[in-house]
Amino acid sequence: MSAPAGNERIELEGGAVLFVEPSHTIPLVEVAVSLRSGSAHDPAEKQGLFRTTLGMLRRGARDLTARQIEDSLDRLGSEVSVDVGASIATVYGQVIERNLTPFIELLATLLESPTFPEDEYGRLKREIVADLVGARDNDRALAQRAFRRGIFGQHLYARSSAGTIAGVQPLTTEDSRAHYRKHFVKGNVVIGFSGDITRETAEHHAQRLLRSIPDGARLEDPVSAPSAIAGRRLVFVDKPERTQTQIVIGQLGTWPHDDDHVPLTVANAIFGGTFTSRLMREVRSKRGWSYGASSRMGIDRQRHSFGMVTFPAATDAAACIALQLELFTDLLEKGITARELAFIKRYLARSYAFEIDTAGKRLHQALDVELLGLPADYYSGHVTHVEAVTLEAANLALKRRLNTRDLLVSMVGTASEIEAKVREAIPELTSHDIVPFDGD
Amino acid sequence: MNAGAAEGGQWTFEGTVTFGGGEVLRYRLQNGLRVRLLVDRTAKVVSYFTWYGVGSRHEKPGKTGLAHLFEHLMFNETESLKAGEFDRKLEENGAESNAATWLDWTYYYESLPADRLALAIQLESDRMAHLVLREPQVASEKEVVANERRFRVDDDIEGAANELLYKTAYTVHPYHWPTIGWMEDIHGFSPDDCEAFYRTYYAPNNALVVIVGDIKEKDVLSKLRAAYGGIPSSVIPLEDTQPEPPQLEERRVSVRKPTPTEKLYIGYHGPALGDADHAHLTLLNEILFGGRASRLHRALVIDQEVVSDLRGWVATFRDPGLYEMHFTARPGKTAADIETILTREIERARSEGVSDDELARAKARLELATLQSMDTMSGKAEQIGFYETVLGDASASFRRLEDYRRTQAGDVLRAARRYIVDRARTVIHVLAEERAGDRQNGAAEAAE
Repeated sequence: MSAPAGNERIELEGGAVLFVEPSHTIPLVEVAVSLRSGSAHDPAEKQGLFRTTLGMLRRGARDLTARQIEDSLDRLGSEVSVDVGASIATVYGQVIERNLTPFIELLATLLESPTFPEDEYGRLKREIVADLVGARDNDRALAQRAFRRGIFGQHLYARSSAGTIAGVQPLTTEDSRAHYRKHFVKGNVVIGFSGDITRETAEHHAQRLLRSIPDGARLEDPVSAPSAIAGRRLVFVDKPERTQTQIVIGQLGTWPHDDDHVPLTVANAIFGGTFTSRLMREVRSKRGWSYGASSRMGIDRQRHSFGMVTFPAATDAAACIALQLELFTDLLEKGITARELAFIKRYLARSYAFEIDTAGKRLHQALDVELLGLPADYYSGHVTHVEAVTLEAANLALKRRLNTRDLLVSMVGTASEIEAKVREAIPELTSHDIVPFDGD
Repeated sequence: MNAGAAEGGQWTFEGTVTFGGGEVLRYRLQNGLRVRLLVDRTAKVVSYFTWYGVGSRHEKPGKTGLAHLFEHLMFNETESLKAGEFDRKLEENGAESNAATWLDWTYYYESLPADRLALAIQLESDRMAHLVLREPQVASEKEVVANERRFRVDDDIEGAANELLYKTAYTVHPYHWPTIGWMEDIHGFSPDDCEAFYRTYYAPNNALVVIVGDIKEKDVLSKLRAAYGGIPSSVIPLEDTQPEPPQLEERRVSVRKPTPTEKLYIGYHGPALGDADHAHLTLLNEILFGGRASRLHRALVIDQEVVSDLRGWVATFRDPGLYEMHFTARPGKTAADIETILTREIERARSEGVSDDELARAKARLELATLQSMDTMSGKAEQIGFYETVLGDASASFRRLEDYRRTQAGDVLRAARRYIVDRARTVIHVLAEERAGDRQNGAAEAAE
């Protein structure tokens, strides 16, 4: 008997939900235990609490020590990892199929009986702090952090799910115990299986995992709609000896429930979503200024950001920013062309095959729809929606959702060498700040 | 057996090899083009890889980075396609494409909807023989590559340190220089340099085409022959490579970088990928570095808390590569702190060996990693192409699993003693730059 498609929603007891996406090409099984809540629930003074709490699941459970857990995971040919975003937190597992049953038993133990030992808690916090310090080596991440903070200000999306040093250091095991009890309840859980597994086996293992989780209702999302920034701002992250810069330019973007969401994402694909996009052609192909040039529309439960990303040499940074602003202005004033629209529709429709070519990808689509509250046909109807986009709708969406007035330019570079030139390259700049790269 | 002798030359069927639950079909065209096909109908897509037997090891001093520059030039103009048309045609048909260059090889790939395979055959055969290499194309891509070098090496601490590691560990073998090339060499390439390189190495008898996906064997062979059959072979020059002489003394280099934490990069001279000891040393590496239960993670991250990140890798090169070890110190900790513990653990591996339980766990982890690499059509095609190009064996990824299963603790002990030799290692030490009015780089606050 062939199993049903993975986007079939199977309701389990207590409000939990299961998705299964079978594929028997290789003997691997992936499991995702997702929570309908994420780091947006971290208190302002405890940023990093969700990450720390989930990290503790493998640091002691029932009578197992952290070392015993790690040994068991390895012995089974398995991996466990956690991923925390603003709206969703997930415990992922992957295992060689022949060891699926003992792996599920182990995973259920981790979810059911974490012990939060004090010594491991202190050790994990020190590891996270070291990671946060080490992340200062990553210029792209520094530019993205500055962009997120600049675009969202005091809004919850401004925060990093990774946490801050000031937020992680004061955490206590009681903070994490309380957080665990609050979020690991049946109504807040969505389980997914993909790979070498049948629906029947998946349901059996999902029931086992669910027995480890107490009853309780899903949590309310604390995130409100964000407000747009006003004016043109520059946030310059100052780091010594940069021969290259990392630049993100953008503003608020789209929301999956906007009636013009698809037309806007289609227009964005023309501007910076492919290797032959306008940005790529002008910045990389014609001028050789940046190895990469792209633009992206993020999605979440609330409106997220639109951002253009480039990384030109320091000597080209000011000119590159000026060019990007010109290209963006041109996009909004003149719109996309019918020829561009026809091209991108063919690309998006035909390349959709690669969005669904593995069981894991199909499962993640189903989880996204469920956890982010996306329209039910967000992925399954993608090709139809794209093909229905008209030139007028795409150009109207650009004018309606984006503007050239309110833009944040965030970048990493060496301020003493190029910051003044960058300021000159941004007409009507209303504010500019230089921030150190090694701040929290 | 000959599988056809129509226009474009004959196919020679070279047999099949098993690949997991499937079978790789092996063919060779009269002009030397090798083809490997794996039928996989689990998704309506196909992956098309073209591997060329040329990498940075085939370059000469003063012309480093040429193989990698081609990774860019090959997406440019051909005699029948204007600049930008290559990518445009692929995107219009929903295809993904990219390329990679390393020491021993270069590959190009397209992943397409299954009914678009003919486009990949047309484009790849076209650029194998008809690339246009004039000044504007070369000049523009040189600038892009210079920016890529800034991104991957000059402003990237790990990239810069890794480049220095190989530069120091190798003195005569071409693994001495980086695949992306020295910056002055990148700026110096002329269209003539590119043309000579192209005419020499971009030829059917130096290429391997791997196709995995929802394909029909007969149809694919017919299209390949029509597209590639008329491309002449080239004379591939004798590879004039000097083997690296044994390293007889430890080499140490210290550099300062704007980083909040010290880094340590160590390279021991290891085995070639085709050496039987490669699997043994890979298992040892898994026991030392693989996951939170590994020896070095326990010692350096959990017990002593001197490291925030660590990785080990036994280079998978045709000639003997390095057994690389990378460590990032915690704020306030030093490379010396790391080395003290590392020395103890390495001595333990060389004297006591590993336990059967450690070995079993390492084997399970490597089996998991191998299966993970086969998740997509392109993952399978890459595995087939990589092992066929480097070892001449399309199914070697599965043979390696057998090698791992057969490995005994004594094999691992012997590999540890043979390759982890302190006097033959290279050490790169990255120190944090001292700055006027230094803000403590987070070390003080982190150490509280």
